[in-house]
Amino acid sequence: MEEYDVPSAASILASVKEQEARFERLTRALEEERRNVSLQLERGSLPSDRLVGGTTGGSNQPLAWQQMVMQEQSPSNQTSLAMMQEPQEVVEETVTIEEDPGTPTSHVSVVTSDDGTTRRTETKDNVTNMKVTKVVKSITHQTFRPVILTESKPSPSTATPSETKPVTKMVKTVTTRTVRQVPLGPDGLPLPEGSSPLGSYTDSIDRRYMKNGERFITPQATSTLTRSYNNYSDSYNDAPDSQFRHYTLHDGYGDMADNYGSLSRGVNYRPYRPYMPTGGYRPENSYTLPIRKDDYGHVAQPQVPMGSSTMDLNRSQPERFQPEPYGLEDDRRSLGPDDEEPYDLEPDYSTANRRTLPGRTIREPLRNGPRMRGYEDPIETELIDERHPYIHGMYPAPLAQPERGSLASLDRMGGRRSPSIDSIRKDPRWRDPDLPEVIAMLGHPIDPVKSNAAAYLQHLCYENDKIKKDVRQLKGIPVLVGLLDHPKAEVHRKACGALRNISYGKDHDNKVAIKSCDGIPALIRLLRKTNDMEVRELITGTLWNLSSYEPLKMVIINHGLQTMTNEVIIPHSGWEHEPNEDSKPRDAEWTTVFKNTSGCLRNVSSDGAEARRRLRECEGLVDALLHALQSAVGKKDMDNKSVENCVCVMRNLSYHVHKEIPGAEKFQDPSALQGPGSAGTQRKKKDDAGCFGGKKAKGRKNGEHDKNYDTLDLPKRTEPTKGFELLYQPEVVRLYLSLLTESQNFNTLEAAAGALQNLSAGQWTWSNYIRATVRKEKGLPILVELLRSDSDKVVRAVAIALRNLSIDRRNKDLIGSYAMRDLVSNLPSGQQRPAKNLEEDTVVAILNTIHEIIIDSSENARSLITAQAIDKLVAINRTSQSARETKAASHVLQTVWSYKELRNALTKDGWNKTHFQPIPTGTPKGSRSCKPGYDDTTLPLMEKNQGNRGCSGGDMIPMGELGPDGYSTIDQRDKESKYKSSDVSSDLQEREPLKNDTNRKHYIRSNRPTVSLVDACDVKPQPVDSWV
Amino acid sequence: MSFIPGQPVSAVVQRIEIHKLWDGDNLILGFSIGGGIDQDPSQNPFSEDKADKGIYVTRVSKGGPAEVAGLRLGDKIMQVNGWDMTMVTHDQARKKLTKKNEDVVRLLVTRRSLEDAVRQSMMQH
Repeated sequence: MEEYDVPSAASILASVKEQEARFERLTRALEEERRNVSLQLERGSLPSDRLVGGTTGGSNQPLAWQQMVMQEQSPSNQTSLAMMQEPQEVVEETVTIEEDPGTPTSHVSVVTSDDGTTRRTETKDNVTNMKVTKVVKSITHQTFRPVILTESKPSPSTATPSETKPVTKMVKTVTTRTVRQVPLGPDGLPLPEGSSPLGSYTDSIDRRYMKNGERFITPQATSTLTRSYNNYSDSYNDAPDSQFRHYTLHDGYGDMADNYGSLSRGVNYRPYRPYMPTGGYRPENSYTLPIRKDDYGHVAQPQVPMGSSTMDLNRSQPERFQPEPYGLEDDRRSLGPDDEEPYDLEPDYSTANRRTLPGRTIREPLRNGPRMRGYEDPIETELIDERHPYIHGMYPAPLAQPERGSLASLDRMGGRRSPSIDSIRKDPRWRDPDLPEVIAMLGHPIDPVKSNAAAYLQHLCYENDKIKKDVRQLKGIPVLVGLLDHPKAEVHRKACGALRNISYGKDHDNKVAIKSCDGIPALIRLLRKTNDMEVRELITGTLWNLSSYEPLKMVIINHGLQTMTNEVIIPHSGWEHEPNEDSKPRDAEWTTVFKNTSGCLRNVSSDGAEARRRLRECEGLVDALLHALQSAVGKKDMDNKSVENCVCVMRNLSYHVHKEIPGAEKFQDPSALQGPGSAGTQRKKKDDAGCFGGKKAKGRKNGEHDKNYDTLDLPKRTEPTKGFELLYQPEVVRLYLSLLTESQNFNTLEAAAGALQNLSAGQWTWSNYIRATVRKEKGLPILVELLRSDSDKVVRAVAIALRNLSIDRRNKDLIGSYAMRDLVSNLPSGQQRPAKNLEEDTVVAILNTIHEIIIDSSENARSLITAQAIDKLVAINRTSQSARETKAASHVLQTVWSYKELRNALTKDGWNKTHFQPIPTGTPKGSRSCKPGYDDTTLPLMEKNQGNRGCSGGDMIPMGELGPDGYSTIDQRDKESKYKSSDVSSDLQEREPLKNDTNRKHYIRSNRPTVSLVDACDVKPQPVDSWV
Repeated sequence: MSFIPGQPVSAVVQRIEIHKLWDGDNLILGFSIGGGIDQDPSQNPFSEDKADKGIYVTRVSKGGPAEVAGLRLGDKIMQVNGWDMTMVTHDQARKKLTKKNEDVVRLLVTRRSLEDAVRQSMMQH
């Protein structure tokens, strides 16, 4: 501001006088104009009707650019067109080009008054020192409400823009601009209050009156006034208070004040824009950087290419080069991180730009200073073709491409922009809208504004939990959900993108918010409606995210299960209801949509018995999943996420089939405790005749009696099985075994082993078949081989599967002879941990499997001894830190000792009875077992779910007590997730664990019962990032 | 830093000793790790060699024990309390770091800047 003081009093006086003279002239000109205008008004008050429709809505939007948009491109903006073309409108345009000391301001203000007068003022400073002030006055009879782009509030922080607090700054900036109703009369005539221009320059006022009737533009009066347009424009504001706002709003005014020395103005605005005084007048634009920083600082808005200021963007940096683990920011879904995904993300929020402007990446523009902001582009053009301003210039173009959205105007311009313009305008003075504004814009009547606002929201929410929360609290989520039903693809796509990002993350409140405004049915509706693949990806990604939160699972099932199955799973799986015999069976397509949807189903399939029932009974689902898996096996393409998801769903659905499927009682093995004599009568029930026919009963009978036989009489089917029956048909065994042989994906391996585990549990006919089929399909060696897997959870799932399989006597013998060595080698030996260092759960599972194998089989017990297991067992029994391991080892040892025929051999090896007894000094162990310091929370669950496996133990692990279910893990998982639901599902899925939860999470995860549903795992993104 | 998996690695390393902190009921170190032999190494933004499946520090919480101890973003963890971390799964690494009965973890880490520094000084001499 020093310059401000420079001029001497005399020169000031002189210039003031000159200004006054100019002002007088200007006033005269204005008068004339006013007369013209009123004349026009009188002539035609007709056309207003046409305009009304379009104009009404837009008024409330606070943002300057919106207004620009309104005028320029949106249909509703017929106003602009109307203005131009309709007879009764008068467009007055004043353009002033003047030499400017290089203040970097550019400003556009549009004022529309009730009477239909729209004023637009642009002030620009370019590198070339061009300043243009344009006042457009159009009088239309419209209900347009006046919007002033000016800022009404002080932005204290602007003076010292610092990078650290981008958000706050932004907010401040936001507050600076308010949309106000301007109480202007049709010809709000000038308060010459601020008019004491010091500078001397010429303003040229171009007035073009457009007589619409005749459709020509007549530059009726072109007068060159020596007056600052600032004053001019100010004068239109009747409301005194609005004036300073005006000034403050326009950065340009700062300059003007400086140059022209309008004192009053300077005084007015200074307090509000502290930075102006200091930096504003420096010729080199030195201050622009800070300002921009301030303005744009935290917002890397893809759609709007920014000027040089972008260098300072705080936000853009982190986003791009986020140190986040592998940048999963994509936020797509909480669950599954695909490897590629992180890098796919970008397109999501920036799609509009990218698409529209190929070759011009968003990021680049940000880095390159001279890029103009979109909003300004129109201005530029105007600058260039000043003489044919609104009419032919850009407006038609925007209308022609409404889909681009408001921001697109920039892009559009970009194409047209000449290099000279680029050089001219280095510093756009636009700021990005703040959050409340963006949310408000979601309700903007103009579609492109909505879609851009939504896209911007998506961008803002990306990896920013705070913003997500703010959006929620500002009630943005219901609006976004409402936009899902918007007919325009651009709008619902962007809204969906925003929702996907919002739905990602630990904050379940966001998910709940989406649900509570009926977002789930809306998403499903859209899924049914749209054919746009991108939209479908977004929808399913959002659903996947939502499905990670336990309470929402059932909601998703209720609203979306059949739709997801019909719209995505079935078509992409290649399965056909009634396959055409001519056509080759189709393979599954591993599309993103399929992956997302299967991930969602994987999550919801873990929600308990009811969820399983719904999924099993969902028409075509099981068939399609099986088909997809078979196709994967056929193509040997089974390491992808989609396959993993499918196998996990299958495993979950296989859980408790023997209890949960309708009519399961009929197949209960009478020899088992559960279904004693009732089987016979039940068999006669009518349903029985259904799919399985009488043969089934026969098969069952054989099964129960032939457990020990190698050959098994499988039930013959009269018609092809379908639906959930496919889950437990012996044919699936081959599928799972193929997966176990071929897949490299640990999650898939675990799930496939878990499926076999689930199917081989229980005492019913089908599990008998399954157990025998695994043997016949040579599955036992495959499973044993996997005991050597490096993956803890695979080893665990396989161990438990072997345990269930050994219910079959023949299997037990085989497993005892061939698997013992591998089982034992997984056990830790004393202090020295084995290479694999398996988790406690796994060790316990292995011990329990060993126990199961040696029960009733002294042969197996003998092979246990020859496998050098006693050493390890005793060591575990004595020294293990884990009560559960100790307990399980103790059971095994007791069983071994119970075989009197083996004692001889044992004592020969130096063992005696004490080694095989439960450790009597149980105090320390007991206390430990009951209260293992780290997982108090999980322990009770384990106890409950795992029965003997926990520390609750009896001396032995009687099979009966464990029951078949003891082995199938789904429930555990269910309970676990229910009790700790949020933590479990969330941590697995989210990569940004809260610090507090992390440890707990990890424990939960690690303690997860062996075969638990995979769903939790899924959720975990592939590239894992763990807080420690 | 490139290396052949399974082979001894020569690297410029720094020892970092982190004292865990109780955060509620949890003992925390205040950083997060990414990587591991079961993870997709190409997604690791920190590794120079995109085939490197090592364990990397992906986040360091401000003011947390790790930061205090000098651990930095992008550090590659070579050892934890003597356990090799260059050929482990993500979970194994996590488990080694989060043992409840250990209050202190001693890390051997390497970071690019260290290597650069050494390289530079060697070139100077």
